Amino acid sequence: MSLVEIVLAVVKILILALFFLNMAALSTWADRRQGAMVQDRVGPNRAVVHLPNMVARGIVLLPPALFGVLAIFSSLGQIAGRAAVERFTVNVQLTILVAWFSLLVLCAKVRSTGAINRAEQMFEDVDPRSIFFAGLGVHAIGLVVGRFVPQAAWPLAAQVSGFVLGGVFLIVALYATSRVPDGPIPLRLAGTLHALADSIKMIWKEDFIPKNGDRLLHGLAPVLAVFSALAVMAVIPFGNDLCFADGNKNGTLDFSDLTNLVATVPASGACNGFRVKLQIIDLNVGILYVFGIAGTGIIGAAIAGWASDNKFALLGGLRASSQMVSYEVAMGLSLVGLFLIYGSVRLSDMAVWQGQNAWGVFVQPLGFVLFLTALCAETKRVPFDQPEGESEIVAGYFLEYSGFKWGMFMTGEYIELVFSSALLVALFFGGYALPFVHPDGITVAFGNTVLFQYKMTHLAVSLLSAVAFFGKTVFVTWVQIFFRWTLPRFRYDQLMKLGWTKLLPLAIANMMVTGVVVLALRNAGPEADAWVKLLADITQGVVAVATLAGFVAVVVGLLEPVERKKFLASSAARFAAAVGGVKPEPQQA
Amino acid sequence: MEPLDRDLEEGLLELPSEPMMLNMGPSHPAMHGTVRIVLELSGEVIQKADVQIGYLHRGFEKMCERGTWTQIFPYVDRCNYVSPMLNNVGFALAVEKMLGVTVPERCQYYRVALGELARICDHMICSGAMCMELGAFTPFLYFARAREIIWDIFEEETGARVTHSFGRVGGMANPPTKYFKDMVRAGVPRVLQLISEGEKLLLKNRIFLDRLEGVGVMSKEDALALGWTGVVLRASGVPYDVRRAHPYMVYDRMEFDVPVGTTGDNYDRFMCRQEEIRQTARIIEQALDQMPDEGPINIEDPRIVLPPKQDVYTTIEATIQHFKIVMEGIKVPAGECYSYTEAGNGELGFYLVSDGSGTPYRVRIRPPCFATTQGLEQLITGLMIPDVVPTFGSLNMIGGECDH
Repeated sequence: MSLVEIVLAVVKILILALFFLNMAALSTWADRRQGAMVQDRVGPNRAVVHLPNMVARGIVLLPPALFGVLAIFSSLGQIAGRAAVERFTVNVQLTILVAWFSLLVLCAKVRSTGAINRAEQMFEDVDPRSIFFAGLGVHAIGLVVGRFVPQAAWPLAAQVSGFVLGGVFLIVALYATSRVPDGPIPLRLAGTLHALADSIKMIWKEDFIPKNGDRLLHGLAPVLAVFSALAVMAVIPFGNDLCFADGNKNGTLDFSDLTNLVATVPASGACNGFRVKLQIIDLNVGILYVFGIAGTGIIGAAIAGWASDNKFALLGGLRASSQMVSYEVAMGLSLVGLFLIYGSVRLSDMAVWQGQNAWGVFVQPLGFVLFLTALCAETKRVPFDQPEGESEIVAGYFLEYSGFKWGMFMTGEYIELVFSSALLVALFFGGYALPFVHPDGITVAFGNTVLFQYKMTHLAVSLLSAVAFFGKTVFVTWVQIFFRWTLPRFRYDQLMKLGWTKLLPLAIANMMVTGVVVLALRNAGPEADAWVKLLADITQGVVAVATLAGFVAVVVGLLEPVERKKFLASSAARFAAAVGGVKPEPQQA
Repeated sequence: MEPLDRDLEEGLLELPSEPMMLNMGPSHPAMHGTVRIVLELSGEVIQKADVQIGYLHRGFEKMCERGTWTQIFPYVDRCNYVSPMLNNVGFALAVEKMLGVTVPERCQYYRVALGELARICDHMICSGAMCMELGAFTPFLYFARAREIIWDIFEEETGARVTHSFGRVGGMANPPTKYFKDMVRAGVPRVLQLISEGEKLLLKNRIFLDRLEGVGVMSKEDALALGWTGVVLRASGVPYDVRRAHPYMVYDRMEFDVPVGTTGDNYDRFMCRQEEIRQTARIIEQALDQMPDEGPINIEDPRIVLPPKQDVYTTIEATIQHFKIVMEGIKVPAGECYSYTEAGNGELGFYLVSDGSGTPYRVRIRPPCFATTQGLEQLITGLMIPDVVPTFGSLNMIGGECDH
C-alpha cells in the first residue's frame, strides 16, 4: 500500500467519521429538542455563544465576499469549449439561487424587525412563497435561454456571467454586513451547540463504578459499543468512483496524479487511469462484514449489564443479547433476495447496479420492510428498545454508567442510528445514485427512447453523487427519529414472537420467491429483459418526480407565512381576552 | 458401555435456581414516585408481587381535625391532584348534607360543568401517561394540549390552573364569569378533536393493542370483592356509576350513557375512559344549556356563607359575620354522615363526624384508589415486568388520595 493510498484512506475516514459524529450529535439534538418542547422549557436553545460584533460581521462578510472575488478572479482567464458552456450554466444558476435565497432571508428579516429603508419596504407585503416560485421560474428560464447562446459567444458568456455572479455575491456580503445589529451577537445555531456543551460537560462528570461491579468489564463495555458503531462505516460507499489520469505516465498512482481528475467518463463508467473509490475499503465480503461487526455492538450492552452489579442492568443486558440473537438471523435472510438480484455482496457493486437499473426498495419491497424492522431491533430503538426500556427497567444496561462512559453509549447508539440509515440508503435507496444520473451526465430514457440528455463533467457527477448519498442519509435518519416518538414499545415475548414466527418465515419465503423470479427472468429472453428495463426506468422516473414534488412541498411549507390564523379556542384564556372576559374585581363580588 | 452419569438423578443435572428479588420503586419511572413493588421474578415473569403504598402519606385525615370545615378545601385539592374540582365538589356536598342545605340550582349546574371538565382532564392524563410509559410520546402530547384548554378555562374561572380550592360550603368561591359558557362551548369540541387525533395514533397500532389486550384481567366478581368502583369496575362489566345509581346534584336531569367493558383488561379500561370523556362532554353540553344565566350561586344563610367583601369593609354586621365564620368556622350540627360522589377514579366518599363545633371531629375519606391499588398485586402476578407498566397505568393510582 503506497503512501498516497494511505493518505487517501485517512481523508476518507475523516470525511465519514465527521459526518457520522456530527449527525449523531444533530440527531441527539433533534430528540432533545422535542423533549424540551414538550415540557415547555427553553431546552437546547439555552446553549449560546456570544460573538463579538466584529467577529459576527466578519463571519457574515468574509465567506460570500471570498466566493465573489473567487468567481470574478476565475473568470478573468480564457475559457473555451464545453467547459465554457458548463461554466456559463452553473454561473447563471448560482446567481439566480443566491439572488432569490438572499431575497427570502431579507424578506424574513423585514417581517421580523421591520424595514429600514425604502427598498426594504417593498418586501413588507411580499409573500415569501412567491419569491420562491419566481426563483424557480427564473431558474427554468435561465436554462432555456442558455441554450440559445450561439457557440461563438460561449467564452464571453462564461466570463460575463462569472462577473455577474461575483458582483451579486459582493452585494449580498456588503448588505448583509450592514444589517448585522450592534453589540455582541448571540450565536445559537438553533440549539445545536447544546450537544457540544453536553459532551464537554460529560468529560468532567464523575465516573461512577459500582462497588461490587467488575471494573475492567465496566470500562470495556462502552468502548465495544462505540467501536463497533464506528468500525462498520468502513464499507459504506459514499460517492462515484473517481477517475484520475496518469499524468506523468509512470504507471503508478502518486500525489501529482491526484490533480489530474479526468474531464469526462463514458456512460459505462469505464476508466483509463486510476480508479479511486469513495469508500474506505471495498471488502469482497461487503455486507457480511457489516453483520459481523454490528453484532459485536450488542456484546458491549451485554457486558455492561453483567458488570454493573445491578438487577435492572442485568435484565437489560439479557434482553439485549437475546434480541440480537433473534433478529440477526432475520436480518441476514431478509437480504438474501437482494444479493440474488444484485449478484454481489459488495456494497459498491450494489450502488452501481441500483444506478443502472432500479432502486432496491422497488425490486425487494418485502425485503425492505423486513430489513428495516430487523435493523430497528439491532439499533435498539423504539419500538425495540427493550434493553433500555425506560419505564420498565429504568435505563437497562447502562443504568450504572455516568459521565463519559454513559456518553459513549449514547454516542454509540446515535452513530448506529445514522449508520443504519446509511446502510438502508446503500442497500435500498440507490446508494449514491440519483435517478437518471449516469457517469457521463443526465440521460432521461425509458427503455430505448431517450427523452433528454445533458452531458456533465466527471467532477460534477462525482460531487452530485456524494451530496446525494449524504442527503439521503440525513433524510432517512430524520424518518427514523419519527418512529421513536410515535410508536409504543413491544413486550419482550411479543418481540421474540415477531422475530421468529413472522420475520423469519417471511424472509425465507421472500428469498425463495425472489430466487424463482430471478431464474425465470434470466431464461426469459431479450424481450422480457426490455420490459424489465422499461419498468426499472419508470421507477427511476417515479423517484425523480416524487423527489422534486417533495422538495417543492417542503420549501412551500417552510415558507408559509408566520402569521398563521390563530385558533382562538385553543386557549380559553385567549378566547376570554378576545371577547373581553375578565373577572369582576374582588371588591364587587 | 454405560452412561457416565448413571448415578445422577435428573434434578441434579439442572443448575440450581432461585427467584430473583427485584425492588421496583418508589423512585422508578413507572411508579410515579409513590409506590413500591417488591417482585419475585423467575426470568421476567412475576411470581409474587408485594405492593407497598404510603410514600406520599401526609396525614390528611389528621390535618383535617385541626382547622375549620372550610379550611379542608385546599387539602382535598391535593388528594387527587389531577381532578381537584371533583374532590372540592364532593367535600362541599358532604358538609352540606350534614348541614341539611341545598345550593341554588345555578350553582349545581356550575358544579356539574366544572366537575365534568375536571373528569375529562383526569381520564385524559391517565390514558396519556399510560401511552407515554409504553414509549409512545406523541399521543401524550395531544392529550396534554387538550388538557391545556381545560386548564385555561379553570384558570379563567377560578384563578388557578391545578389546585383551585374553589369549592365552598353552600356554594362556590365566585359566580361563573360572564363568558363561561362561551369558553366551554368553544373549548370542549376542540378537546374532543384532539383526543380523537391522539386516539388515531393508538387504536390502529398493533403494538399498542398487543400490549393492552388480555393483559391485567380482573373478573367482575373479584373487582366487586376488592371494592373497586369507577372506571376500573365498569371496565370489568359492572355498570355502577354513582351519578346514575344514586344521582346527586342535577345528574338525574342529564342524559348520558355509562360505558361498560366486557373483559376487564387494560384495553377495556383504556376504552372505557375514552368513551367516558365523550359522555362527559355530553353532560357538559346539557349542563350549559340548562344552567340559568342569572340567579344566586350561594345559599342565603349568613351562618354558612361569607358576606360580600365590600360589606365586610363597610358594615359592622358583615364584619362580625365574617369574623365568626373565619375564626370559629361554620357550626355544623353534631352528628355523622357519609356522602359519596363519582370522582375521576370512582366512588369518592367522605365520612364526617361533627361534635357541633366549628372544627370537624373526624374526617374519613374513602378514596377510590385505595381499593383499586389493592387489586394490583392480583393483576400483575403471573405477568411479565413490562406488563406492570400499562396495568399500573390503567388503574390510575393517585398517591395523594391513596395514602390518606
